[in-house]
Amino acid sequence: MKVTLAMKPTARSFIPIEAESIVPKNFLAGTDLVVWRGNRELRLDEVFTVTVEGHADRSENVEVVLSGDDTFRLKRVGEYMEAGKITVLGNIGMHCGNFMTGGEIEVRGNADGWLGREMGGGTIICRGDAADYCASGYRGGRKGMTGGTVEVFGRAGDFVAEHIAGGTVIIHGSAGDMPGAEMHGGTLTVHGDCSRPAANMKGGSCYVFGTAQGMLPTFRKIGTVQHEGRTLIRFVGDVANRGKGNLFVRDYVYLD
Amino acid sequence: MTELLVKNACVIDPLRSINAETMDIAIRDGRIVEEVSGAAEVIDVHGMLTMPGGVDSHTHICGTKVNFGRYMSPEDMRAGRTPRRGPLHATSGYSVPTTYGNSYRYSVMGYTTLLEGAMAPLEARHTHEEFIYTPLQDTMANTLFDGNWGIMEAIRDGDTKRVAAIIAWTLRAVKGFGVKLTNPGGTEAWQWGKNVSCIRDPVPYFEVTPAEIIRKVIEANELLHLPHSVHLHANNLGTPGNYTCTLGSMGLVPDLNKKRQTLYATHVQFHAYGGSGWPDFCSKSEPIANFVNMRPQIVMDMGQVMFGRTTTMTADGPMEFNLYRLHHEKWSNHDVELETGSGIIPVIYRRKNLVNSIMWAIGLELALLTESPWQCLLTTDNPNGAPFVRYPEIIALLMSKKYRDAEFATVHPDTAARVPLPAIERELDWYEIAVMTRAGQAKALGIQEIGKGHLGPGAYADVAVYPIRIDEVDPSVDHQKVIEAFGQTEYTIKRGRVVARRGECLIDGSNATFWVKPKVSEAYDMGKDPDFIEKFDRYYTVRMRNYPVQEEYLNRNRCIETEAEI
Repeated sequence: MKVTLAMKPTARSFIPIEAESIVPKNFLAGTDLVVWRGNRELRLDEVFTVTVEGHADRSENVEVVLSGDDTFRLKRVGEYMEAGKITVLGNIGMHCGNFMTGGEIEVRGNADGWLGREMGGGTIICRGDAADYCASGYRGGRKGMTGGTVEVFGRAGDFVAEHIAGGTVIIHGSAGDMPGAEMHGGTLTVHGDCSRPAANMKGGSCYVFGTAQGMLPTFRKIGTVQHEGRTLIRFVGDVANRGKGNLFVRDYVYLD
Repeated sequence: MTELLVKNACVIDPLRSINAETMDIAIRDGRIVEEVSGAAEVIDVHGMLTMPGGVDSHTHICGTKVNFGRYMSPEDMRAGRTPRRGPLHATSGYSVPTTYGNSYRYSVMGYTTLLEGAMAPLEARHTHEEFIYTPLQDTMANTLFDGNWGIMEAIRDGDTKRVAAIIAWTLRAVKGFGVKLTNPGGTEAWQWGKNVSCIRDPVPYFEVTPAEIIRKVIEANELLHLPHSVHLHANNLGTPGNYTCTLGSMGLVPDLNKKRQTLYATHVQFHAYGGSGWPDFCSKSEPIANFVNMRPQIVMDMGQVMFGRTTTMTADGPMEFNLYRLHHEKWSNHDVELETGSGIIPVIYRRKNLVNSIMWAIGLELALLTESPWQCLLTTDNPNGAPFVRYPEIIALLMSKKYRDAEFATVHPDTAARVPLPAIERELDWYEIAVMTRAGQAKALGIQEIGKGHLGPGAYADVAVYPIRIDEVDPSVDHQKVIEAFGQTEYTIKRGRVVARRGECLIDGSNATFWVKPKVSEAYDMGKDPDFIEKFDRYYTVRMRNYPVQEEYLNRNRCIETEAEI
């Protein structure tokens, strides 16, 4: 089953729409769903032109396609998603794929903050850039992502994979400040540059194939290793947190 | 004029020595009156247990550190969510709920008056703002003076009257109610990275000891004739063997007030520990209770611990750091300039943990071994020992030996060798529970004269009707019925209006904040004292004229003026 949600253009396009109801499972019972714009509850067909092709009796067979110029206003799409697929042709708003445990989300454009926050499984692919707190935990939370995969082909903002405890995060471009802060497990790979990676890490692995700016002094240098055809420098830490994580960087510049 | 008549109520009203008499309660315009006209609305409660509205004399519900507890625990805010419904706001949170969450849940349990246990004077506005959004209870705030530079300097100079003058100016400025000492001197020492081990250790730089701070502030409190006594969180909280320190602090207290206690020792469970370390940790509730039994000038509250998840928060910064080193979890530490500090960490108390099991037993022992219920009040130091929603279970534990034994069988097996609880046969009765949850608390706070904690004519019409008939239920056997009854009132009446019924809050009320304004002579007005002004301008980050909390921060309020002796 393929559900296409073409977002209708509206004049008041600055108000975010809370769309946690847009998960494949909900479409098994029809399209009679509601979303919130500010404090107003709206039917799905007031916001989107809804078309359904085919039929499915399992979430795995449901694909939801979101299109339109305003999809960056949609928040919480795919929250608690368990199976199926969501494709966003343009940009997506904050908190896409929160707490997701299975299935796949593909964002062809850019993703706003908190993409795949606290996710436990499944796959998120972002073809554009991801903003801050991609694949992270929530503020004050103990655990971020615990499983699954997030792959961003563009750049990522600050605090990528903060508090990550499991799963894989791959950023093909550069990342901002503090990627992998407080990580206890899982794997974070940044193909480009970043600053202050893996601060206060306890466990897990963080790879930086570019330059680590503002490298923290609390990591113990071990030596060079070969990884997928690259020569990387291996560090262990964060010593300040009695951590046993591995940080691999191509090169680094210490904090002044 | 609105009139209400509560008929056939089985009333327990300890401040008027009424024990289970069936009577009618007449209410007009928010006050209890002798009688009402025939036009009054009538509620027939068919002999249900009826008491004055509950009073919590030590709880943490509003203010900066409570809010930071919310902020740092998203997992706590995800628990206990309720949507917006009729006049009710949405709520969330379990151990540190939103203000509406606190207010609705307290109201459903029949509570109508709350005392915020610790308000940092500099951050008083936040507390008062949250009070406004705690609509179904009247509120008041204990104000922290444990590390106040001006007061410590005055104590060093031996000038008790100046101590009183600073307290008077500050209470008036921040619209505070009582004087709170949290680990006196210790939080100031923490600003130097240290702590005080007990009452004889001098505070760095100021060279005064906690004993001097406690004694002088008690004297100053009585010079100002404040309604409440000094409210003490003693030094050395949570350390094995700290009971000697607690006894030492209690031994400093003279009997200075005819109407009420001279010292309110709070969450004494956390201060009644024996042993020289965690391996031989044990209960010392007996010496503490015996000591209090001989001294009418002391009232304490339990600070009961209940098993489960909660959040600890206190102005005792160094203690929270020690807890952090035990748990290695999230930790918040906060410094409040010339006044105090604070710390927060989330904890889980577990039955399988020996120390936690002993702590659970100590709170109950204190309540059961203290002969007069007026001297040991029921609290959990919400949320430090447990969230207040656990009060009904504590009431049932105190009323039923059978229930205590059943619970005791589930805790760590070595507990029996470390605590006297299994040997205690006492079961509290309904009257004693009424004392410990409202009358005693109102008396200790000194608010019975303004009409709180009793149902005499002229009192605020705050009434809690519990769906239980005490002539039919034997609390020592039917503990489950006791828990259910105290967990959910049939009616909670606040200032003459039914605000909660069978677990549902019915209206969006408006509370009143009680605060104290001691009248001092011109010579002791700190607002005009050149030395005080100079120190203020030099060390505070705010200007003195911007420091006082404006009246706009209190929507409905009642100022209690006292005639000071200075």
